[in-house]
Amino acid sequence: MHAPRSGPPGAAIAMRDVTKQFATEGPEPYTALRDLDLEVAPGEFCAVVGPTGCGKSTTLTLVAGLEQPSAGTVRVHGADVSGITPGVGFMFQTDAILPWKTVLDNVSAGPRFRGVAKGAAVSGARDWIRRVGLSGFEDRYPHQLSGGMRKRVALAQNLINEPRILLMDEPFSALDVQTRAKMSDELLSLWELTRPAVVFVTHDLEEAIALADTVVVLTAGPAATIKARFAIDLPRPRVVQEIRFERRFVDLYQQIWDALRTEVDLAYAQTTRISGEAGA
Amino acid sequence: MTTEVDSPASPAAGAAAVARRSRRRTHAVLVHTVQAAVLVVLLGGWQLLVQGDQHAIVLYGLPSGIFDRLRSWVTEGTALGSLGSQIWTTIEEALIGFAIGTVLGIVCGIALGRIRFLSEVFGPFIKVLNAIPRIVLGSVFVLAFGLGLESKILLVIVLVFFGVFFNAFQGTREVDRTFIANASILGASRWQVTRQVVLPSAFTWIIASLHVSFGFALIGAIVGEFLGGYAGLGVLIKNAQGTFDASGVWAAMVIMGVVALIAEWLITRLERRLLRWRPAQLSGPDL
Repeated sequence: MHAPRSGPPGAAIAMRDVTKQFATEGPEPYTALRDLDLEVAPGEFCAVVGPTGCGKSTTLTLVAGLEQPSAGTVRVHGADVSGITPGVGFMFQTDAILPWKTVLDNVSAGPRFRGVAKGAAVSGARDWIRRVGLSGFEDRYPHQLSGGMRKRVALAQNLINEPRILLMDEPFSALDVQTRAKMSDELLSLWELTRPAVVFVTHDLEEAIALADTVVVLTAGPAATIKARFAIDLPRPRVVQEIRFERRFVDLYQQIWDALRTEVDLAYAQTTRISGEAGA
Repeated sequence: MTTEVDSPASPAAGAAAVARRSRRRTHAVLVHTVQAAVLVVLLGGWQLLVQGDQHAIVLYGLPSGIFDRLRSWVTEGTALGSLGSQIWTTIEEALIGFAIGTVLGIVCGIALGRIRFLSEVFGPFIKVLNAIPRIVLGSVFVLAFGLGLESKILLVIVLVFFGVFFNAFQGTREVDRTFIANASILGASRWQVTRQVVLPSAFTWIIASLHVSFGFALIGAIVGEFLGGYAGLGVLIKNAQGTFDASGVWAAMVIMGVVALIAEWLITRLERRLLRWRPAQLSGPDL
């Protein structure tokens, strides 16, 4: 193995030779990631795509400090990750806003946890609720909101902390197609406000290209690693629903899909166990 | 429960709403009528079957005798003093024990649910304590702490604690991991996670145990008084039993039933208040 390198001084996230194993029932641990190198610059929007079960979410939990790598280093703004990483926001795939708190209490929770006085936290929360378009819903409980509205609450809940890094784990996958495109547009305009570095995990290549500066393709798991990295040079600001008709978008899609397809086939074969007989 | 909002947009819709409402009212009247009939048949049957036979009256009591006994307790007081003070003695024991047992159960359940080391150390002890018939401890408490309030309160605590404890423990372990991860990333300390994520989430479990536990609290207070005491409904029942006064036993039971129903109503109120963040439950018969 090579000597440990340190990332360029400015990198927001620098993962080096990261391996992550999970204990299983059997004697062999399950290797989710192997020798993964990933670097994200400050303010960069990086989308991670890959077949199901390839360890995309694991990558995020390592950056957030929810899990520790089995080998290799994870550095955030030059500091090794140990415990929950400060200055990070995380949008989960499932609803993670607290169902027993109102919208206002959910959004002001972050500042309150961090010791901001109640009045300041509440007025900050009202600002963010307005920015995500939920004014008038402050006193509702999450079960009284639609799926898209709950995602907005989650977004406001994270952005109010002004994270320098925003980690997103297929945040819009549970939404219908139209709501999803709308949310993507709003995400981009909100991202412009504070410009955190974003790692956006998705299995939807179209969504990845429309949103990101960089698309990273992971190999099929287990022991996934980075297969290829593509710079997306589409101009901003972008309109997610329209950008996919552009020539350049289609070219990029084809390029990346070529890299992704073999991994998707491989993952599919693994899950259905037809690789041998069918030769598909 | 949500009530339908009737805002008739057209005369037809208004008429339909009126028809719907009157159908609902008819249904409610039917249910209450049948309930009253069941009560009349049960009590009337009891009265008719027993009243001719002096021997049976001593053994089984009579609805009219129960009513007379209740009236004499209210107007003339019991052999132990006024009825109110007997009821209050039992309620006091049950309430103090219930409060202490519930708080202890919640604190211990959440502590053991959150801190693995504690659950590893104390798990076996709690299993053993739960396996023994705890009502027997009442005798120990009466011997050790005398015939006063303390022995009854201790028995109530022991009976209430375990139900609440196991529900709080299980509720703590069932908390959605995503909620905990999210709150931690938002900046919550371990204590803040316990207070603002684990406790509210476990409360659905804890509240469910409170309904059962208050029943246990009353049982604990009464059995404690049976085993030895100066006052309370348990002593009243014991005395009635000792003087072949079946109506007295029944009368005390009726009073206990009323107390339990009031407590149940209060706990349901508390439940609605604490769990108002939950979506309305799918409707079904309320019991």
